[in-house]
Formats: sequence, structure tokens, C-alpha cells
Amino acid sequence: MNDTYAIILFAVVLCGILLWLLIKGQKSSGKADSSLHPSGIEGLPAAKHYAYFPQIRQALSRADSDYLLKNAPPGVAKRALRERRAIARRFLQGLHEDFSNLARLGRIIAALSPEVSHKQEATRFMLSVNFRFLYVLVWLRLAAGTLPLHQLEILTGLVGRIAARMDEAMTEISALSAGQLAGKINA
Amino acid sequence: MNHLEMFLALSSLSFQIMLCGFVVGRRVYGVLPLFASFVYVVLASTISLSIMNVFFGFNAPPMYYGIWASIFLFATTRGLAIAELCRNGLRKYPGIWALLWRVLTVLSVFLVAHAAINAWGQPNGIAIYWTSFARDFALASLIILAVLFLFLNYYGLALDPVPKMIAIGLSFTCAVDAIGNTILLNSFKGYLFPWFLESQRVLWPSMEALVRRADDIWSSVHLISFMISIVIWCYAFREPLPEQSAGPALLPASIYGEMSPAINAHLATFNERLAELLKP
Repeated sequence: MNDTYAIILFAVVLCGILLWLLIKGQKSSGKADSSLHPSGIEGLPAAKHYAYFPQIRQALSRADSDYLLKNAPPGVAKRALRERRAIARRFLQGLHEDFSNLARLGRIIAALSPEVSHKQEATRFMLSVNFRFLYVLVWLRLAAGTLPLHQLEILTGLVGRIAARMDEAMTEISALSAGQLAGKINA
Repeated sequence: MNHLEMFLALSSLSFQIMLCGFVVGRRVYGVLPLFASFVYVVLASTISLSIMNVFFGFNAPPMYYGIWASIFLFATTRGLAIAELCRNGLRKYPGIWALLWRVLTVLSVFLVAHAAINAWGQPNGIAIYWTSFARDFALASLIILAVLFLFLNYYGLALDPVPKMIAIGLSFTCAVDAIGNTILLNSFKGYLFPWFLESQRVLWPSMEALVRRADDIWSSVHLISFMISIVIWCYAFREPLPEQSAGPALLPASIYGEMSPAINAHLATFNERLAELLKP
């Protein structure tokens, strides 16, 4: 009897997944179609949140915290610290978005390529899974207030450098697709 | 056959004829030949079973084997239609298709082999064997469709409206078959099991009504669910099929060769730094 319930539950879950994917696909189909064109790559935001790091650093600085704790009433200081941690979490979310855009760029290039390497695709998939796992852990540490700020700064610098290189690469791909591809098709 | 079953059988036949009309009228066979074959085979099976019912009667042995043969044909041609749907959905993206068909082939071989082995280990009786196989085959079809849609979603691709509606109808019929066959199999292997044992022949007369009732309920549910799927497919074919689009212009292969390892290297560095954040 347990097997029966397990199989029925499995079939229902599979149906739910399919329905969710179909509805999701329906909502994003227009967006997906437009982005899956070589010229659409240029419009993909590579990374933008890292640019806000100086403001975030200011908001989360030790000096600011000390000043608040020393001069503000306890209730206000506590609320302000809680809000600052929320800002840091939102910033981390932004970095997650930057990572997702980079991974998406990889997937779009794969979708538009005549041949892909299963090893590269499997690696990227595993990296994305790994990132999600690490992201949750970092998010939890940030929420608990045990994440040193300078480490977040190192990470932000890395995202900024990657974003700059990706922007260059996307511009090159778009130029290539607009010119070279059109030439190839017309030839 | 009672009045309800007779009504359902005739309704199902009418729906199938209507779907066949759409398939021929819209020239679906030119775009999705295996799906069209599935529709023809289902209609041919229904007509054959109706003729057999007139000649031999519903409870005669030829009818019994005919029904199981039609279930086998139904599952097989539906599986082929799903394979075609996968190919049709990704034909514009040769790189991704080359990746996916290998994954799906390995998965299909594993799932069908599992279904066959699982069915082989069942207690005697063609009904139990085929119910088990049909259940596993429907589950395998659902898994294949789910993997297809996960792939499409992962790469940000979308099926065209008509194949999408066909996929919804196929998913629905597969899900109902998987759940219904699981319940039926559970009954066959549970309180109806003596029906399949020669040693329990003395119990058969008292069990006949129960067995017929289980069969009737399941066949009614199957017919109704399949009619719902037919309505979905007819809705998909209500307008002439759109012209097959050429698909996006592909990038030169060298771009993937250069960019993909670079992107992966960046993503890996990103993960390393994220992991460093967690070090004490």
C-alpha cells in the first residue's frame, strides 16, 4: 500500500512540476524568444549591483555601528542595525542576480551554438547548484551578523571585474552576430 | 457493458473521429507524423475493439487479449509521439538537441528496462503484467516530458503553442494512466489476487462482480481522461498550423569554444570566493 501511495504522490508531483514549467514557460516565452537571438545578448545585464558597494560599505561600517550604539536610544540603534543587515542581504541578493545573469549568458551562448560540450554544460550546471547552496549559507551568516565586511568587499571586486570582461565579450559577440553572421547568411 | 460504458465508448469514438479529422484537415501528419500515427492507431484500435465486441461479446477471450494489445499499442505510439515532441521542440537548437537526445535516450532505455523488469517480476496473469508495464511506461513518459521541460526552462527556450498543447494533453493522459494503473494494480495484487490463481478457482464466481467493477471503473476513468486530452488537442488544431519558423541565427562554433570555458572559470572563482566567506 505504501508503494501505491508513493507512486501516486510521485505522479502528482511530476504533474505539478510539468504544470509549473508550462505556466512559467508561457509567461516567459516572449522574453525568452527575444533574448535567444544573437543581437539580444547585448541587452542582457551582466552585473550592476556591485557598483553600489561603496554606499553599502558606508552603511555597514563599524564606525557607523559604534556611533549609533553610542549616541542613539537603544531601541532606535537596534532597529537601525537590523535595517542595515537587511540592506546587506538585499545587496547579496543583487550579487546573486549578477551571478545568475552571467550563468544565463553562458546558457544563451550554448543554446545558440551549433554544438556544445556536455562537459562544459554539466560543469556550469553544477557550479550554479553549488552557488545556490553557498549563497544560502552566506545569507544565513549575514542574517546572523557573523560575516566580516571586508570579505564581502573582496567578492564584490571580483564581480565587478568579471562584469567588465563580460560586457566587452557581449559587445564583441553582438558585433560579430550583426556583421559576420549576416555576411555568412547572405553569402 | 452497461449504459454508461456504452455512452462513454461511443463518445470516445466520436471524439477520436473528430481529432482524426483535425489531424488530416490541418495536415498535422506533415509536421508531427508520429503524433498523427498515434491518433490513427488509437482510432483503429477503438474501431477494431468495437467490431470484436459485436462479433465475440465484451467478456469473450479474444476481446480480453484485444484490449490488452490495444493498451500496449496505445502506450508505445504515445511514447513515440513524446519522442517526436522532444525533437520538434529543440530542432532549432542543434547544440542543445545533441546534448538532450543522449540524456533522453539513456533515461528512456533505463526507464523502459525498469518497467519491463518490474512487470516481469509480477505474479502470474497477463492483466497484472500489462497493468504494471502500462503504469511504469506512463510514469516513464511523464519523467521524459518533465526532463524536456526542465531543459527548455533551464536554457530559457519555449515550445511553440501547438506542441505545447499536445504536451499538456499527453501529460494529462500519462498522469491519469499512471495513477489509475497504480490503483488497479494494487487491487489486482490485493483483494482481487485470488482471481489470478488457479488454486483459488472456487472463489472465482463470487469475485467476478468485483473484478468487473474494478475494470469498469478504471476503463471509464481512462476514457473520460482521454476525451479531455482529445478536447485539448482539438483546441490546439482549431486554426491552421503556423508555418515552421526558421529559428534564430546560430553563433559560430568558435564563440562557444572560447566563451563557455571562460564563463565557467569565472563562475568557479565566484564560488571559491563565496566558500571563502564561510571559512572561520
